[in-house]
Amino acid sequence: MITLSDLSAKGGSPVTWPMGLFLLGLATAPFWLAPIGLYQYLGIEIAIWILFAMGFNLLFGYMGLHSFGHGAYLGVGAYAFGLFQLHVGTSLWGGLLAAVLAATVAGAVVGLFLSHRRGIYFALLTIGFGQVFWFSAIKLHSVTGGEDGLLGIPRPPLELGFASVDLNDNAAFYWFVAALVALVVPLLWRLVNAPFGRVLQAIRQNELRARFIGYEVWRFKWATFTISAATAGLAGGLFAMAQESAYPDVMSLHQSGLIVMMVLVGGGLVSFWGPVLGVILYFIARDVLGGLTETWLLWYGLMFVVMVMVRPEGLAGLFHVLRPGKGRA
Amino acid sequence: MLNLVPHLVNGLTLGLLFALIALGFTLIVGVMEVINLAHGSLFALGAYFALSTIGGDWFAGTGFGVWWQGLPLWTRYVLALAIGPILAGAAGMVLEFCLRPAYGKAPLYGLLLTFGAALVIEELIRLGWGTGEQHLEVPQAINGAFFMGGLIFSKYKFFAAGFAILAILAVWLLLERTPYGAVIKAGAHDSEMVRALGYDLATLRLLVFGLGAALAGLAGVVMVPIWGLRPHVGIDVVIPAFLIIAIGGVGSFWGAVLASLLVGLAVGVTGAYAPAWATMSMYILLILILGLRARGLLGRKSALES
Amino acid sequence: MARSTLTRRGLLGTTAAAGGLSVVNGPWRHNRVWAQATDKPIRIGLTSDASGQYANSGASDRRGMIMAIDEANARGGVLGRKVEHIHLDTETTPATGSRVAERMITREECGFLVGAVSSGVANAISQVAQKYGVIYMNTNSSSPSESGENCHRVKFVWDGNGTNFAKAAVKNSIDRFGKNWLLLTNDYVWGHETAASTRALLAEYGGEVADEILVPQGTRDFSAALLSIQQANPDVVAAAVGGDDQKALRQQVAQLGMGSKPAWINNQQDWPDVYGLPLDNLFGVFGTTWYYKLDLPGVAEFVQRYQAAYPDTSMRVPGNVFYNGYMATRELLAAIERAGTTNNIAVIKELEGLQMSAESRMQTYDAMIDPVTHQVQQTIYLATANSAPVDENDMFEILTESPPDAVRDTSADAACKLESYEDTPSFDA
Repeated sequence: MITLSDLSAKGGSPVTWPMGLFLLGLATAPFWLAPIGLYQYLGIEIAIWILFAMGFNLLFGYMGLHSFGHGAYLGVGAYAFGLFQLHVGTSLWGGLLAAVLAATVAGAVVGLFLSHRRGIYFALLTIGFGQVFWFSAIKLHSVTGGEDGLLGIPRPPLELGFASVDLNDNAAFYWFVAALVALVVPLLWRLVNAPFGRVLQAIRQNELRARFIGYEVWRFKWATFTISAATAGLAGGLFAMAQESAYPDVMSLHQSGLIVMMVLVGGGLVSFWGPVLGVILYFIARDVLGGLTETWLLWYGLMFVVMVMVRPEGLAGLFHVLRPGKGRA
Repeated sequence: MLNLVPHLVNGLTLGLLFALIALGFTLIVGVMEVINLAHGSLFALGAYFALSTIGGDWFAGTGFGVWWQGLPLWTRYVLALAIGPILAGAAGMVLEFCLRPAYGKAPLYGLLLTFGAALVIEELIRLGWGTGEQHLEVPQAINGAFFMGGLIFSKYKFFAAGFAILAILAVWLLLERTPYGAVIKAGAHDSEMVRALGYDLATLRLLVFGLGAALAGLAGVVMVPIWGLRPHVGIDVVIPAFLIIAIGGVGSFWGAVLASLLVGLAVGVTGAYAPAWATMSMYILLILILGLRARGLLGRKSALES
Repeated sequence: MARSTLTRRGLLGTTAAAGGLSVVNGPWRHNRVWAQATDKPIRIGLTSDASGQYANSGASDRRGMIMAIDEANARGGVLGRKVEHIHLDTETTPATGSRVAERMITREECGFLVGAVSSGVANAISQVAQKYGVIYMNTNSSSPSESGENCHRVKFVWDGNGTNFAKAAVKNSIDRFGKNWLLLTNDYVWGHETAASTRALLAEYGGEVADEILVPQGTRDFSAALLSIQQANPDVVAAAVGGDDQKALRQQVAQLGMGSKPAWINNQQDWPDVYGLPLDNLFGVFGTTWYYKLDLPGVAEFVQRYQAAYPDTSMRVPGNVFYNGYMATRELLAAIERAGTTNNIAVIKELEGLQMSAESRMQTYDAMIDPVTHQVQQTIYLATANSAPVDENDMFEILTESPPDAVRDTSADAACKLESYEDTPSFDA
């Protein structure tokens, strides 16, 4: 079976022109969001979902493991952040640490079950586990607030030692999210373009061969799954702050399917930057179409179908095709 | 305190209904190695076509329409049982046409394309039939209740389960006891073989996908008198279908049937003793079985594994 | 549009700071101009579901709001200003509700938000609305927590809740059907809250709970539960099953002919959920806040207005969801007019404790907005399927009407803690 995943580990410095462009866009967004007809809060959600999608693509694009239950770890992170604020103490770093830890543990445990599975059985099991998390979030309503969600989660101030920054304003919160994204994305870039990334590529291309060379393939799968869940957890913690609540819906199969859709449409299989394009396109298309027509899903679905038919490599695939032979950042 | 027997009977009936729901999905996955996420939307579409057939909406106001609405309900119902699935099958063929660029690529693309198609079909249903809850009439003979062991059972449920058995047997006969079956099974894996037998691969795919979609539509017509009919009724279909494929093993016909019965029994018996956990029991079953057997109960090696 | 977004943001920052919150204003701190021109339209955001489980009810809700807005504009607007509305799909998803509310307030400059069916979505919207001080009308979400622990200063709740309906039904039904009850409860927050109030009332009036069957959310097959109910053989089954689950349940109860024995108490049947279905789908006794054939002044004329405004809608008569959407919007606009200003705090004060005559609301008894919980205390009707309908629309037979005091959700008073006026950002829309 031909897999379209075509991501190579190229090594070198993360200082590339797409990275520069990305960081520039991230840093300047509050100045141009409103003039082009968008709004600050949308910028926050987009930045958070970029983080989620980038971590997800580690698994999806680089490792070639197709998870359809990844919303679960975003949700675990969101609940962990909320429960920490409500039951332990109001603390930004404490909450985010709790979010990352909880998602990491959840990912590590589920990863043990998953790391010996391949292809469709891997995908089906991720759905199964995803549903268990989603269902538990609704069922354990004394802890999670059930379908009403965990409400009234504060946005704790950012304590920097010398100063305290209030994050209740969306602009201030955006800067905080953007700073974290700007920190994590180069780390992910380093990871996939280091020897680790080369092993992932080898496993994706031929698992058997990778095993013969002497790699313990399942450990790599497990580690990738866990790292990806941890990133989702961080995104979840931030999402809980953005929404000031945590809801079970983000864990549903539908939402987990959406992140797959965003990553693919953007071109996550051929480019490190694919998920960024996909997330931006999805959020803007939904916001703009949703404001124009009640049947926006029809138009979005059609757009999506046509896209998969004529340009299955996704948006980033356009650049990929236009610049054959060149290294991709 | 609780008598277990009625709950076991109920669980088996439920299992047969799950099998009916998963039948078209299994066929398409097994033969074409495409995960058809539009299965649920085609399920709904079949039911809506049947609704319009029974109501005679297409010819309302014309002389033919008046004649049509004067036909006995059972005649219209039997016709709806055929027309609903046929039209859903036709929609499936259109979808297959869109799927062609995805062949030979990662299974992911078929999955994505059908996900998009599911959105589109559901929205088209909203536009065509409205967003409200509708009611699919069934003939008096299979409606209502009967008594067994002092308990009330639904006639329709047993009709539907019996119908599921017939559909399962028919598909099995088609695959195993007719010359077409051999070609279909050669299907996607062995295009050389298909050509050697003198068949056109493109036509074969079109027909198999159409058949799978028609089976989805058939399940829709049979199931909605139990579930009710609304545009998003299909979302309740995809998850059970997935679970059944995963538990039964990809590519195994009897694996899927066996898995359906197991899921039905699990849901039925948990429904008696710990009803709050009835839904969860399906997922636990999935994780248990896939934890023990990597390819489900009877799965064979599939291209979908890579 | 973009420029005015900036103005809006500047204003919110200013008012929030005035309200005692310290807010970083980002690059817009300097911009505090706020147009007070009276020709500026009043913008209302309609936050109803157009997709997902409640798409159909959401559409009905929205028609109610739009009719009220159109009528206000036909009378020359409110405070001499035209009323505009914009709708965004909340997708029956809370996370989308948050985003839509943010967009409505910060980008679309909506001064008021109206609409909800799902309590999760209502909560999400009301949290955002409270943050900005924007008045939010929860039209149709009937979870008791809406006017209990999740109440807000800016939120007003227009539907009867689970406790109201249980109160209307329980005592009557013990007398009529018997003391031995079984609870069939959807295993999520709304189901549990409603079941809890039924239990409390049963204890008060001498009924007994034989058993409680919990069914998970998303259940499509109720056969196991229905078998267990037969085996337990109670006098009454009190069902708190909602959404699509309820639709599957009533379909299956109808097939078994179990709709009359045992007696069923259903919490509330929303009109868009049952309209056009066969009457045996309407089993048992259920609650509603309004019916289009109530024999009261103004009702017939209201139905005519509906039919004139929506000649192409398949739902030929208005129902409770439409009614709540209409009433909430009409009373909001009337309150702005009476306050003489669009200042949110002034309008909130105008709404709190508002007395609404039975005649103006086309209900049997006078209603009022409870100043403590912000829930509308209104007449609750019990209904059942109509055995002698005059036409296909005439599906309900109204059995009883309970005055607001008799069905008051008294537990809400202690659970609801409204934010103070000072902690609610103030602005003129």
